[in-house]
Amino acid sequence: MFIENPLNSSELTFPVLECFHIVGFIVAIGSVALVDFRLLGLCLRHQTPGQLTNDTNLWTIIGLTVSVFAGLLLFSTDPDKYYLNSPFLVKIGCLALAIVFNYTIHRKVIFSRASPASSRAVACVSLGLWVLVVFGGMLVSFTAI
Amino acid sequence: MLLSFTIWLQNTDLFAYVRNSGYAYPVLLSLHILCISLFGGMILATDMRILGWGMRNHSISDIVNQLRVPKRVGFVLVATCGILLIVSKAEEYYYNPFVRIKMVLLALVAVHAVVFRSSVYNKAAALDQLKPLPVRAKLAAGLSLLLWLSIACAGRAIGYISGSAGSHHYAGLL
Repeated sequence: MFIENPLNSSELTFPVLECFHIVGFIVAIGSVALVDFRLLGLCLRHQTPGQLTNDTNLWTIIGLTVSVFAGLLLFSTDPDKYYLNSPFLVKIGCLALAIVFNYTIHRKVIFSRASPASSRAVACVSLGLWVLVVFGGMLVSFTAI
Repeated sequence: MLLSFTIWLQNTDLFAYVRNSGYAYPVLLSLHILCISLFGGMILATDMRILGWGMRNHSISDIVNQLRVPKRVGFVLVATCGILLIVSKAEEYYYNPFVRIKMVLLALVAVHAVVFRSSVYNKAAALDQLKPLPVRAKLAAGLSLLLWLSIACAGRAIGYISGSAGSHHYAGLL
């Protein structure tokens, strides 16, 4: 059975969803990066990483929710195009890792007053994963045509 | 005049390289968006704190002053990538309505700085003493969020005007 996705009935849907997707991930990644930069000692040194995590937690969740939801709708407009695209699969893999990492090891290190070295290591892993997600996403838009 | 200047500029070695290399444009675009993601949180934190919608455990001046320099670093990184991207296809982008909208919005960011920097961002310590916060400060933060949000959306829309963004780099990547 073939069901037409109603999202494909207007040419405007995709660009508008993309704007939600982009603004969502800017908020999500931007708020996580704020904590990571703090872990690296690069900004907001008057605050502790724990305080910043608590301050930005809601932004991260809202950003992620908007971005993932818009992303799922974007995916639904042409699933065949994406699930065969290897940059897309790498992106989704890194995204899953980044989210799990953010709410497990990242948290644990931030709230356990870990050594500066492990704080820095965790910040680098977190930033690295998000960089891969963004680069993977861009590569999707250049290759899934 | 502007058009002939942009055509000359886009044909200088650097910008011609960005345009003609299969990788330079996509990599720069990725870096542009990556830096926006990494540094956008700083604008969000500053404006949300001024609006009182977040980070309320810290004073306005503490957040505004500490983020001032990192935000500038981010702006320079994002703008450098952006200039390389836009000038490399200056002739094509000259006619792109969303490039024009984005430039107007960026000019408004400059106007925003002229109007609000001395009275709001440079006086963050004084704002901490004022309750309720002056409308001017909240207006500055709200307009800042709105402007950057619009710039992000206008930026995405640039690629939808035919001939730009991904289309002709496809071959270069595969």
